[in-house]
Amino acid sequence: MKTNYRIKKVVIASNNYIYTLGIKTILSVIGIKPELFDVESVDELRDLLKEQIFPLFLILNEGIFNNNIEQTISEIKRISPDCPLILLKNSQTIIKTNIKWINYDENQSDILKKLDNFFKEENQKDPKKDQTILSDREKDILKEVALGLSNKEIADKLFISINTVITHRKNITEKLGIKTIAGLTVYAILNNYIDPEQEILNSDS
Amino acid sequence: MKKKLLFNSKSRLADIIHADYRLIPILGRFGIEFGFGNKTIEEVCIEKEINVWFALEIINSFHDSNYFPKKSLQNFPAKLIIEYLSNTHDYYLKVKIPEIQEYIDKMERAVKPENYKNITLLNGFFSEYKEELRLHLENEDQHVFPYILSIENALNQKIIDDQLYQKILTNSIENYERNHEDAEVKLNDLKNLIIKFMPPVLCKELCQNLLIEIFRLESDLGIHTNIEDKVLIPKVKLLEKRLLEIRENKL
Repeated sequence: MKTNYRIKKVVIASNNYIYTLGIKTILSVIGIKPELFDVESVDELRDLLKEQIFPLFLILNEGIFNNNIEQTISEIKRISPDCPLILLKNSQTIIKTNIKWINYDENQSDILKKLDNFFKEENQKDPKKDQTILSDREKDILKEVALGLSNKEIADKLFISINTVITHRKNITEKLGIKTIAGLTVYAILNNYIDPEQEILNSDS
Repeated sequence: MKKKLLFNSKSRLADIIHADYRLIPILGRFGIEFGFGNKTIEEVCIEKEINVWFALEIINSFHDSNYFPKKSLQNFPAKLIIEYLSNTHDYYLKVKIPEIQEYIDKMERAVKPENYKNITLLNGFFSEYKEELRLHLENEDQHVFPYILSIENALNQKIIDDQLYQKILTNSIENYERNHEDAEVKLNDLKNLIIKFMPPVLCKELCQNLLIEIFRLESDLGIHTNIEDKVLIPKVKLLEKRLLEIRENKL
C-alpha cells in the first residue's frame, strides 16, 4: 500500500479509552503504523498543534467537545490548515460544515473504507495553484506595458476602459511583486512574452 | 519583536561588532579602522575627533530597526549629518554598487549560452538603476547639501545675502522633497526578478551572493533615506524658517 511509505503522525483525541483503543486497532487493520499522539481534551489538542509544523492526521471523538463542535473544529482548522481531520460522532449529531465524519453505528466495511480513504486522499491533494501565473488578459496588458504604451494607448488598442487597464496593472504588480516598467519589461522578455528586437523596432518608429 | 539592547558610550567597540557584524560598514563611514583593542566607542571617537553621541545614534539605528531617534538626530548640526550622509554616498557608489556589478559581471561570464540573455537583461536593468542612483546622489552632493550648509552657516553668522534669500524663497528644500524619489522600488523589483523568476543558473553561489548584497544595500538605503527624509529635511525646513524670520526682522 502506497500510504505506508511514510510514517504518518496521527492524533487520537478522545476521552474514552475504549474508543481510543478501538481506533488504534482499526488503524492496524487498514495497514497503518502511525506515530501516535493521544490527547484527552480540546485544550491538550490545541497545545499539541501549536508545537507541530508537520501535518498531523486528526481523529477527533465527539466526546471531547462541549456543545460547539463546529466552531471548535473551524478554530482547529485555522491553527493547522495542513492537518486533515475526521470526526467520530453519534448519528444524531448533525454537522452542517464540510468535514469528514464517521458515525459510531456504521458497519465494519463502511468504517474501514472511510478511514482508509481519509489517509489516502491526502496524498492526492491538488498541488496549490501557482499564484504568480498571469491570466491571458493580464499577459496581453503586460506585453503592451513592456512595449512602453501608456494606459490610455493600451485601453484604445485593446478596446477596454482605462480603469480596466489600471485594475489589470494593479493585479499584475501584486502577483509578480514588480512595480517599475523597466522591471515588468525584464519579466516579459524573460518569459518570451515580447521580443527585445521588436521592442527596439517599436521605439524607433 | 524582542527589544534589542542598545549600545552606550561605554560599550567596547569590539563587543559592538561581535554583537552585530552588520555594523562593520558603518565604522568605515566614520573613518574608524580595525585594531582598536578593547577601547570603548567613546575612547575611539575622542581619538578620531568623532562626535560620540552622533555615532551612537547612527550605530543603534542600524542595530535595531525599531530604534530611530528622529528628534535626537535633528539636534545635531546639519554639517555633521551631511558629512555622514556624503560618506555613505561614497560607500554606495565606490564600494557597494561596484561590488554588486562585479557579481553580475561574473555571472554573465559563467552562465551557459541559453541563460546569457537573462543575465544580460538583469545587467541592463541594474545599469539603469545604477545610473538613477548616481544622478540622485550626485544631485544631493553637488546641490542640496551645499545649499543646506550655506543656510546653517548663514544662521550661525546671522548674515543672509540676497542670493541665498532668493533661493530660500524660490527653491527651498520643499522642492527637493517633492523630487526625492524612492530609490528602493527598482531594487525590490530586481530582488523579485531573481528570487521568483530567474530560470536556474549554473553559478548558484554567485547568484546567492548577489542577492545577499542586494538585500544589504536595500536595508542600508532604507535607513539612509529615513535620515534624509525624517531628520535632515525637517531640520532644514526649521532652519529656513528661522533664517527668513531673522531677515524680516532686520528689514
